[in-house]
Amino acid sequence: MQKKLLQSAKAPDEAAQALTQRMRDNLVAIGKYRDEAAFQDLYAHFSGRIKSFLMGKGTQESVAEELTQEIMLIVWRRAESYNPDKAAPSTWLFTIARNRRTDYLRGHSRIEVELDDEMLEIDDSRPTQEEQVGLLQQSQKLELALNKLPQEQRQVVHLSYFRGKSHGAIAQWLDLPVGTVKSRIRLAMQSIRSELVSKEIK
Amino acid sequence: MNTISHHLTDETIQDYSAGVLNAPMETLIACHLTLCPICRQRAELADAIGGLSLGDGATVSMNVTAQDVIALDKANPVTGDVPQTPVASGAGVPNPLARLLPSPLHELPWKTFGPGMKQYNLGTLPRKEGAFKLISLDPGSRMSKHTHEHRELTFIVSGSYSDELGKFKAGDIADLSADHHHTPHVDSDIPCISLIATDAPVKFEGLFGKIVQPFVGI
Repeated sequence: MQKKLLQSAKAPDEAAQALTQRMRDNLVAIGKYRDEAAFQDLYAHFSGRIKSFLMGKGTQESVAEELTQEIMLIVWRRAESYNPDKAAPSTWLFTIARNRRTDYLRGHSRIEVELDDEMLEIDDSRPTQEEQVGLLQQSQKLELALNKLPQEQRQVVHLSYFRGKSHGAIAQWLDLPVGTVKSRIRLAMQSIRSELVSKEIK
Repeated sequence: MNTISHHLTDETIQDYSAGVLNAPMETLIACHLTLCPICRQRAELADAIGGLSLGDGATVSMNVTAQDVIALDKANPVTGDVPQTPVASGAGVPNPLARLLPSPLHELPWKTFGPGMKQYNLGTLPRKEGAFKLISLDPGSRMSKHTHEHRELTFIVSGSYSDELGKFKAGDIADLSADHHHTPHVDSDIPCISLIATDAPVKFEGLFGKIVQPFVGI
């Protein structure tokens, strides 16, 4: 019943799925064979978007161009470490772009979990999102879930990623109480999470 | 298996994913994520949303081409630097914190700021921009009631404390908003060591708080 409703709500966008698959193949080919044609295809899709993303956060064009070049160089060099079962290509590129921007802004690296940390706690009993739905489907479902969010919730997500604003700064920018922005973020994340899980189970 | 009962809020995970927090906050969050597979998965989801935002976003033209990047790589071969294992590593301290410590926790040059209370400062920022420090409170200690102008994150490294929100144990995170007042007291039989990052000074209430404030400096 639930499943039928969700399926009829929106047909999957096959073009988007094909693009994700192609970019994923590109990254794997770069990692394995240093495939220059694959890199050109990946570059054609992502470099301008990364540059635009950096400029949206207030970086001037010449700096954004240079940072994008460095980001794409990192992509070329580290493609071997891309795990196609773990993350969508856009996720991987996003994290590299974000981290390079942080390095540039404050002169030292972003601080993250170290996967070889002996303190790292792994919970095997919880299926990963990928195991639940499969990676491509996950991207697809995530996109649908994002598109379904009410405008006011999408706006805070957008401001967060594209303007590089903290939830406190978003509240000021929109002239809203901080509590309102927090609850919009929470509602958005809750509905995205339940969408990702419910579609598979029901 | 560790049992984490206090997690990061969605808005903090969102801010972390968007890359808008300072290094102290990032360190603290990375410590919790090391110990908390649930929040790690939530952070991955936030990154995936960031990726979709990037992939669906506007594009602008690039002067540099893919061939230029490949040529740049050939002209500048990489020399890999292997990250060192931190000295404080493995003693119950996740690497993001251990990297900042010159020695294991018990050998740090702690500074006493009250009976049974000591601290080790990690911050290099001016005080008004917030605090970043380890606090060690002896069993039975009670912090004066205090509140925060902006945001405070507390990561429990060892021991435990309880306050109005419940019991906080090693690995837990207290992700407090600005309007929250609390009066933590240590209920473990070992000192409770916590890592604290704020983006504004802490305001103590009451007489003891006012006396302690200049020394604590959080």
